[in-house]
Amino acid sequence: MSLTATSFDWVRELVRKESAIVLQPGKEYLVEARLLPIARQMGLPDVAKLVETVRSRPDADSTRKIVEALTTNETSWFRDGDPFTALTSTVLPQLLAARGANERLQIWSAASSSGQEPYTIAMLLDDALPNAATRVSITATDLSREMVARTKAGRFSQLEVNRGLPAPMLVRHFQRAGTEWEVSPNLRRMVNASECNLAAPLPRMGPFDVVYLRNVLIYFDLPTKQSILRRVRDLMRPDGWLFLGAAETTLGVDDSWERVVIGRSSAYRPLKGA
Amino acid sequence: MTAQDTGERRRTSDARPVITDLMDEGTILAVAEEAWVSLVGEEEVLVPLAGELPADVVSSWVDVVGPWTGSVVLTTGQATAEALSRALLREAAPEVLEPEDVEDAFGEIANVVGGSVKAALPGPSGLSLPQVGHAPLVRNPVDVCRVDVLWRGEPLTISVQGALPPLPASH
Amino acid sequence: MRALVIDDSRAMRRIVTGILTDLGYEVRDAGHGGEGLDVLNEGWVPDLATIDWNMPVMDGLQFVSAVRSNPAWRRMTMMMVTSESEHTQIVRALAAGAHEYMIKPFTADAFRDKLALLGLLPQEVAL
Repeated sequence: MSLTATSFDWVRELVRKESAIVLQPGKEYLVEARLLPIARQMGLPDVAKLVETVRSRPDADSTRKIVEALTTNETSWFRDGDPFTALTSTVLPQLLAARGANERLQIWSAASSSGQEPYTIAMLLDDALPNAATRVSITATDLSREMVARTKAGRFSQLEVNRGLPAPMLVRHFQRAGTEWEVSPNLRRMVNASECNLAAPLPRMGPFDVVYLRNVLIYFDLPTKQSILRRVRDLMRPDGWLFLGAAETTLGVDDSWERVVIGRSSAYRPLKGA
Repeated sequence: MTAQDTGERRRTSDARPVITDLMDEGTILAVAEEAWVSLVGEEEVLVPLAGELPADVVSSWVDVVGPWTGSVVLTTGQATAEALSRALLREAAPEVLEPEDVEDAFGEIANVVGGSVKAALPGPSGLSLPQVGHAPLVRNPVDVCRVDVLWRGEPLTISVQGALPPLPASH
Repeated sequence: MRALVIDDSRAMRRIVTGILTDLGYEVRDAGHGGEGLDVLNEGWVPDLATIDWNMPVMDGLQFVSAVRSNPAWRRMTMMMVTSESEHTQIVRALAAGAHEYMIKPFTADAFRDKLALLGLLPQEVAL
């Protein structure tokens, strides 16, 4: 049975309430595809039945599973590689020059999903710096408990390592672990993963030199976008760098940022005195 | 496992690993699911349930030669093998499938599943070119790890089976 | 752009050819490394070769080595596309001169990601 408009609206409302992420109309197929495995897991024949069950007897576990299934995306390693090129070409040299030799650089991957983004950053820095493990700390946060656990484990399926990870980096930084691939221990030590809901008050972290907040704002409505950017700014160093997704900008959302073009990508820096 | 061994009453599994020492059904299923999702189609699920294979079955397999030596064998009904080949070829599928088309596509699935199984085994190991026909015989009933699945409701088995007979019991 | 697809499986050749044709590539194919070299010797040198490892007559690694020994073919980008997925195998292929390595099974999206890494994804479909 396919999803009725009422069921879809219920899922939309649930996801908006729990994560502040707005599912646009027309995303019924996404709801079907993402929730079917949960329905199966619970021994239910389809998504319509799943919605009916959880609506009539709400429980935190099922609710969370539904929200997590709809708020996480398959990620590839160097998807839209320009913000990573910018890190090594421009941002890193400037930060190394500005900071003391014993100061640790702090980088935040703010919607780290299953870990591809923080480990991409870790690989690049490990290749660029002789002492990356002691010089850099990467904080990875995600809304999803399951994704945080996966990031900590640093294990990726064959299909995941096929998604845009250059083969030379795969052989340099990963080992086989059964049918999966495991990130090397020194990269895992550089990455600290924890749960964090960007739409709620943030825990004490940072201050960060670089923040990757990519493909997150697009899901939120304008007031939530504004409060997220404000909270992120509060956790950044005054001369820090913020990277957003290619389709995202602070322009027209929050005017306390300065846009800087780096090669084919853009970064945002806190405006002085704003 | 201990490094010390008196050598007395050695079990055969101490001398040569059998497949169940090296992987379980869950691993084989995971490998097959990945192959199906990417080769056959994103919505194509394998349901881990046994079904009754029809009389006219066909197998495709690759041999793995290394610390563990054996075959990764896919077996299903002729009609299902054809449906799989069509799914694999999608719009590139010819109107009438020739037997060679089915051999080729069904063999390629064995190659892909076999490659992933091999990667999860201790290496280095070699992988043969795929073969299609009557499945190789099971030489040692203990050296088999097999999953039964349904694809689009039709039964299919994936068997990872050793090529060597059991070692004679030592006295 | 041109691509040469080398794989002993006709099904796999059709799948890879389909992805590349959709991206606007002009594609030729070969059933093993020897046939691949025949195409190059005709003077049809592609921008990209996708190469299976295990094939009859001449395997993918031998093909890569043969291409590397001829300076006329230096600008060709070579990507292994194979079910061989052990760490040491990937190292061997890269050492022999392959630029990228795609492990079977793969999705069309993953294939396009690899082309993007190699700078071989046509811009108009890069989104």
